[in-house]
Amino acid sequence: MPSDDLAQISLNALRFLAPAARRPTSRSPATDSHQAPVARALAQLGEIILGKRVQLKLTLACLLARGHLLIEDLPGVGKTTLAQSLAACLGLRLQRIQFTSDLLPADITGVSIFDRTSGSFKFHPGPIFAQIILADEVNRATPKAQSALLEAMEERQVTVEGETRALPEPFFVIATQNPSHQIGTFPLPESQLDRFLMRLRLGYPDPQAERLLLEGRDRRAMLSEMSPCLGLQDIERLQGAVREVFVSPAILDYLQALLTNSRDARAFPHGLSPRAGLSLLQAARAWALVEGRSHVLPEDLQAVLPAVSGHRLQGSGSLAAADGEELARRLVESVALP
Amino acid sequence: MATTPMAWRSRFAQPPPGGQFPLVLTQRRVYILPTRPGLLFAATLVTMLLGCINYNLGLGFVLTFLLGGCGVLTMLHTYRNLAQLRLRPGQVEPVFAGDPAQFPVHLDNPGQIPRLSLRLECGAVRSAWFDVPAAGQQTACLAFPTLQRGVLVLPRIRVRTTFPLGLFNAWSNVDMELQALVYPRPTPGPVELPQPVGGNGGVRQHGPGQEDFAGLRDYHPGDSLRHVAWRTEARDQPLMTKQFSGQSGGEIWLDWAEMSPRLGTEERLRLLARQLLDAQALGASVGLRLPQGEFSPKPGPEHLHRCLGALALFPAH
Amino acid sequence: MSQERGRLRPGILHSLTAALGAILLPHVTHLPLWCSAACAAFLGLRTMLTWRGQASPGRWTLVALALACALGIALGFGAAFGRDASVALLALMLGLKLLETQSSRDATVCICLGYFLIITNFLYSQTIPTAACMLVLMIWLTATMVSAQDRTGALGPKQCLRLAGTLLLQGLPVMLVLFLLFPRINGPLWGFPQANNSSLTGLSDRMSPGSISNLGRSDAVAFRVEFQSPMPSPASLYWRGPVLWDFDGRTWNAAAMLSTAPMQHTAKGPSINYTVTLEPHSQRWLFAIDLPRNVPDGVLLTGDYQLLAEQPVRARIRYDISSHSSYQYGLEEAPQALVRALRLPEGLNPRARELAQALLAAQRQPQAVVNEVLRMFRTQLFYYTLEPPPLGRHSVDEFLFRTKRGFCEHYASAFVFLMRAAGIPARVVTGYQGGELNPVGDYLIVRQSEAHAWAEVWLRGQGWVRVDPTAAVSPARIQRGIAAAVPEADPLPLSVRGNLEALRSLAFTWDAVANAWNQWVLGYSPDRQMELLHDLGLAHPNWRTLVILVVGLISSVLGALAFVILLRLRPAPGDPVEQLWKRFCAKLARAGAPRRISEGPQDFAQRAAKRLPSMGKEIAAITQCYIGLRYADPGPRPQEAHPKEVRRLQALIRHLRPGRGPPRT
Repeated sequence: MPSDDLAQISLNALRFLAPAARRPTSRSPATDSHQAPVARALAQLGEIILGKRVQLKLTLACLLARGHLLIEDLPGVGKTTLAQSLAACLGLRLQRIQFTSDLLPADITGVSIFDRTSGSFKFHPGPIFAQIILADEVNRATPKAQSALLEAMEERQVTVEGETRALPEPFFVIATQNPSHQIGTFPLPESQLDRFLMRLRLGYPDPQAERLLLEGRDRRAMLSEMSPCLGLQDIERLQGAVREVFVSPAILDYLQALLTNSRDARAFPHGLSPRAGLSLLQAARAWALVEGRSHVLPEDLQAVLPAVSGHRLQGSGSLAAADGEELARRLVESVALP
Repeated sequence: MATTPMAWRSRFAQPPPGGQFPLVLTQRRVYILPTRPGLLFAATLVTMLLGCINYNLGLGFVLTFLLGGCGVLTMLHTYRNLAQLRLRPGQVEPVFAGDPAQFPVHLDNPGQIPRLSLRLECGAVRSAWFDVPAAGQQTACLAFPTLQRGVLVLPRIRVRTTFPLGLFNAWSNVDMELQALVYPRPTPGPVELPQPVGGNGGVRQHGPGQEDFAGLRDYHPGDSLRHVAWRTEARDQPLMTKQFSGQSGGEIWLDWAEMSPRLGTEERLRLLARQLLDAQALGASVGLRLPQGEFSPKPGPEHLHRCLGALALFPAH
Repeated sequence: MSQERGRLRPGILHSLTAALGAILLPHVTHLPLWCSAACAAFLGLRTMLTWRGQASPGRWTLVALALACALGIALGFGAAFGRDASVALLALMLGLKLLETQSSRDATVCICLGYFLIITNFLYSQTIPTAACMLVLMIWLTATMVSAQDRTGALGPKQCLRLAGTLLLQGLPVMLVLFLLFPRINGPLWGFPQANNSSLTGLSDRMSPGSISNLGRSDAVAFRVEFQSPMPSPASLYWRGPVLWDFDGRTWNAAAMLSTAPMQHTAKGPSINYTVTLEPHSQRWLFAIDLPRNVPDGVLLTGDYQLLAEQPVRARIRYDISSHSSYQYGLEEAPQALVRALRLPEGLNPRARELAQALLAAQRQPQAVVNEVLRMFRTQLFYYTLEPPPLGRHSVDEFLFRTKRGFCEHYASAFVFLMRAAGIPARVVTGYQGGELNPVGDYLIVRQSEAHAWAEVWLRGQGWVRVDPTAAVSPARIQRGIAAAVPEADPLPLSVRGNLEALRSLAFTWDAVANAWNQWVLGYSPDRQMELLHDLGLAHPNWRTLVILVVGLISSVLGALAFVILLRLRPAPGDPVEQLWKRFCAKLARAGAPRRISEGPQDFAQRAAKRLPSMGKEIAAITQCYIGLRYADPGPRPQEAHPKEVRRLQALIRHLRPGRGPPRT
């Protein structure tokens, strides 16, 4: 379809031309300087995780928005690989915590052990003191252990035996959860789910991607060869840039309409909370940045809505069984955009 | 205003099929008739006209016809006060029998003029008068008394106005398809709860409710003596029970079959409702076993509402 | 029902009481004192009860009061239960109803009664100021009605007044149609309207020294005239009124028995056509220029060419008439009439008789006698004044030989006396002379100050000939009007004096307004309605066509108003950028690429570009411009860039020319 490509190219060309023509000096160079590293990171991640471009962008947006990610999927679809490649690509320290039913909070945060040589207690930091935490199968642990993790996520600090210790920056938790009902699990309650900015599903790869995966090299080997393409400063700069992304009154109108509809319509008896609204806005800003824009479009809100509100919406009536993403899609469709 | 004719046409179009709500008060839905003061006004005008003819009052004709024109136009104004409003049903909270059930209706006004002095009516039940601001919305509530448990379905209601002069009455009959779940009225006073039974070992290991002291409440017979605040008793105050946060309180099973056979169906339901509430107040996980099925013990208000709902819908014999 | 019957807010009751008080106030002048006092007491009591938040008096108290009021009316007015009695009863009942008022339903009853009382005010006065006052009160009452219906109290007093004003303003077109076209019938339907007012000024059927000079001080309008043919010169404008035959030495009286025999006349010169709007004067005379030719239906033309209506003129009337500018009449006057025109009271005014005999002896020819008397008035020191000295028993003698100062009635009276004494049949004609052209409305105003008296003498071979002795004394009176003729010191009304130009032009404008008011509002009669319909092209309208016309016009007026009123049900138009975007979407929808309701601009642009590849560039440009305006950071100085960008977007969208539809492959 050559005509499609043409239109696409002209659109992409004009996307930067038009604002530049309007304001010759201002923002577009800055946007460019944000766009390049993001594109690099995405390209690198895309080599390892095949056919999951949207999920990769959402993951990156989640990180840049200083949120945390919950991945809910079956084992073996690449949750761990995603975390590992993200850490490798961004040059961040990864710690994996495998949650089990006998995991104790101290196993996460760390313990103070009496050191005979010095005659005092010495703190041995737990695995939480890392930049990227992969919390595998959080629903296997007891609520106590879960809350230790979730509190650390919220506060970005850990208090052990009366002493508060800050966690490193950036601090990004990727928690995974197995959705299939299994005996002896403790699914995260709704109030805890709210602490994750996004919930993603990876799903099976499409046939082409799967073919490439089967043909290609071992992913772990590729990971070990990967060199970081973004530095710590880059990440901090991008996180700062997210806050600068412009939100016009029209976007706020639209966001409010979405929130109001989620609260009023009979399909959603438990509407989106004000915190969910803030999360949506933050995620949309990050998404706009990942897309290389200095302002938020309604499309950005629509793009992040399923991931951000999926685990916060609950259906009723005929939609009771529908999953969150489906509800989010219906929510988008129910609000008219001028 | 090149778009006027299209917009005009769409205004009077029927609401799109399928999506019944919001329900738009279209021309077909709004009825309008003169009120009794309106008829009095008309009679006054006729008398005035006769007087003017008899005494040949040119100025009298002017004022009589002016009032007449004004009165006829009031019909348009009254119609306008109601037309094109959008009605959506609100969320009905379940109530206990005897408390009034509140049926909220949201009204959206897309137009540029405020709608003043409207009212919802359903038989003798009426909402307060309310206004809907221009390009804004308002929620009106109809409070129905509830007498017995079950489902209270809101009949067709009427939204009505006589503004601005009270000469015409415009109304629309709408079915908001609202229903309220009416729980059985809990038996008054404290009742005894069944003893907690063993459940999840992991939760039970610390023993019930020993952790953080959270406050005091009135003593109910059946409270553990270990929780009685003896210190207040010593000050000659009524017996109080200490409450602890974070306590899981164990699991309590309420079983229909184990209740005293002397009680009738309704009395049993009311007693169960009371027990559910009390157990909730104690922070215990309550399970409910009814002839139709059972609810395994869980904490939290949602579970409580689910159980109370089951009681509300318990088939009468 | 509890809320419907709920008590009115005290503010509404106060407003209602005040409005009704203001409506009742003008009635104080014609209601019996006890009625006014009772109404005032009811209103005062109401105000006090409202103020203190106390309940209304009990039902039985009110019934007793009502009975007392009815009894008072029955005793006070007796059997003559007419207009005044009904108004008094209405006022009292309104006061009682107000006392009882608690709910909005009661308030509606009060307001309806209030409207009725507004109309009753017009029984006594229909002037423009009255109308303005009553209109204001009507708006006030309507605003009170609005605030009684505003159950939530969302509207302030100002907003209520504005809404009431808007309602009445919107009722205006309906009122106009109904007023002009609603089939009018001549009243009365029942009873007889009482005499409007007996103290109206105007000419009467008798004339004594000073009676016309008194009129000369009155500024009141006697009648107004619109000329269809060119207006004759002021000197020839003799408006003929009562003709006086009988003299008792002091007073001239109209003939008791009037001959209605048609008289022969010969007309010379062109005829003058005009329309007279006569103010009510409680007499039967209508006025016309000498000599009236075509007499309107229902008007009697007497032998001495007076025009008489069937009934005394109690309301303003309008009639079309025409006159001869030059004529000869009464050549063959009946002998008994000539005898009557010579009769004089015995034993009075001996010196005047002597003078007449001497003149007759000297001249012989009647025409020469007339000329000699006029010459005497002209040459001797006779003065024309509004303030003549009082005259005694021999009024003519005293005037002719002693005072020599008089107004037109003195000259006319003396002249006719001399003629009769000299054996020449003569009579006094009263009426008006001249008039003032109102340049604003292009019509002639004739005031009471233009009242005049002149003489007619019968000469063999010439018939009745008009002789104006005043013209001999003061030609200016006839040529340029009374203001030129009387001395400055004489108390003339302001409107007659010519030297205050600004005031005069103001007065002219006001009179033009008053005239239009009289013509179109107060005097809009069935005849006038027929005239209007005729002008509209309906030559012979019957009831059916009239009803169809009214119904058709009213429905189209209401339709137009409905459009205006219901237009505001539409949502407010969004900002211009949003409007432009909607237009763009509509254009693309017609081209076959409709936007989904929740589709964002960029998604839509991509999809539309795919569907309409030929317009990919334009679509992208428009979308970018729109996004820039609506979603992007407007930058540090948004006011400057914004309008330019909006215009650019407008131009881009205007130049977008979508094809007939999507290419079907």
